[in-house]
Amino acid sequence: MQRSALVLGVLAAVLAGSVAQADEVPLPSAVQSVPPEDAEAILGQRVTDPDGAEIGRLVDVLVDANGQPQAAVIDFGGFMGVGNRKIAVHWGALRFTPRDPKRKIALDMTPDQIKAAPEFRNPNKAAAVVTPADPNASSP
Amino acid sequence: MQRIRFPRVGANRALDLVNFFVADVQTGFGPFVAVYLTTHKWTQVEIGFALTLGTMTSLVGQLPAGALVDSMRNKRAAAAGALIGIIAAALLLALQPTQLPVLLAQMLHGFSSCVITPAIAAISLRMAGYAALGERLGRNARFSSIGNGLAAAVMGATGAYFSSQFVFFLTAALCVPALLALWSIGPGPHAREQTTCDVMDLSGLKRLLVDRRLLIFAICVMLFHLSNAAMLPLAGAAVTMRAGHLANIIIAACIVVPQAVVALFSPWVGRAAERIGRKKLLLLGWGALPLRGLLLAVLPGSWLLIAGQAVSGISAAVFGVLLPLLAADLTVGTSHFNLCMGILGLAMYLGAAVSTTMSGGVADAAGMDAAFFMLAGVGLVGFLVVWLAMPETRPTAIEISPATPG
Repeated sequence: MQRSALVLGVLAAVLAGSVAQADEVPLPSAVQSVPPEDAEAILGQRVTDPDGAEIGRLVDVLVDANGQPQAAVIDFGGFMGVGNRKIAVHWGALRFTPRDPKRKIALDMTPDQIKAAPEFRNPNKAAAVVTPADPNASSP
Repeated sequence: MQRIRFPRVGANRALDLVNFFVADVQTGFGPFVAVYLTTHKWTQVEIGFALTLGTMTSLVGQLPAGALVDSMRNKRAAAAGALIGIIAAALLLALQPTQLPVLLAQMLHGFSSCVITPAIAAISLRMAGYAALGERLGRNARFSSIGNGLAAAVMGATGAYFSSQFVFFLTAALCVPALLALWSIGPGPHAREQTTCDVMDLSGLKRLLVDRRLLIFAICVMLFHLSNAAMLPLAGAAVTMRAGHLANIIIAACIVVPQAVVALFSPWVGRAAERIGRKKLLLLGWGALPLRGLLLAVLPGSWLLIAGQAVSGISAAVFGVLLPLLAADLTVGTSHFNLCMGILGLAMYLGAAVSTTMSGGVADAAGMDAAFFMLAGVGLVGFLVVWLAMPETRPTAIEISPATPG
């Protein structure tokens, strides 16, 4: 009996706490439904060239202090785990078309640009983020 | 009489198939784990941890696994148990890509790999006897490399069309023909003299470790992999930096061509080991390694790197045949063959583990060519140790005659 009283007491305290919090910051409780055509999960997704040929996989996203994505880490190429390398590309070089299952994420970079890009190694050091030579030329 | 003679011919063929299918199974496991976990949104750190756990298990498991196989009277059962472990690991990965099952699968696969390599060598030893072991190991190496090369070519070429999950189901499925081939080797006189009384025979380990020849050879094995293990990844990196859209085809050739060289060359190595002795072949294999490092450092472009890689087929054939052969030489008359394989396996894993880190550091600091030169230098040290310190180990006819199966 004593124990259930204790549990009730704790419950009451928790409820009071959450009510107090709700008073301070009103939380939006509406649930929004986002269909997969409008927003997609990108981690581990295939990355293609503009023509739709697979060139790598998106393995990480670098964001700034505001949570805005700055660069994507893409694992390129390789055969049976040999010769693959990770490159951080500027977020602006990626184009997302969730509606197109063939090229959900396309990278606007030529094979030569990818080849010349420095490898992304240690996330704790300054990342060498690759920007397409002329971002304006590649944007539609 | 015929019932005894026919299965003997069949048993050799069946052992060929065991080597082929086990190589198939092992080829798929490593490279696809990383890709598979990436598609399941594992972070790079988590993937690195899972892979390292698998490697660490293989490293730590070498000696216990060797001692375990030594203590099992039925070596076929040891190999079958390892295959069942690999099936379980593959199915765990395919069906449950979450933290605990994946880590469990990595450990299970790591330990099973430690068991299956010495177990197959032990079955070969009992089947062929000491006198004909070289030839039998040459066949083993040939069929392993055919399995490796074929599986790498097929899986690499079609991997993009299948999900990585499918690869693990395929891996589990390929264990079934491996088990069938293992079963059709037949009971044979596999184990009797090769079984220890205790599961963990520490006195046996002590006896092995006072053998100077084993210590020298373990150092040679360690230096071999310290030089060898990082060369292919480094060559792959060189190809991706130099070649454009054909890079993956060149890398595929860098993987498959050496396997073809091993397939062609290893039966000769096995026969020659009985004829001209072990030492000359060790010099050939360990000498090809610095040559390969030099070629990879100086050859221009990306297509020519395939030629450098082809040289690795020579050292791989020698290594693949002579490691179990020397383990047998050094344990004639004892029942510690698998423990000896474990000691050499441990030396191999230690060398390989340091190799990639070391060459990566040198490549970052001084460039890729410097890393190739450094690896070639380590290979040269290995060659010198073989040349100056390693004695001939081919047993005399008197030593091996009682152990030949009747």
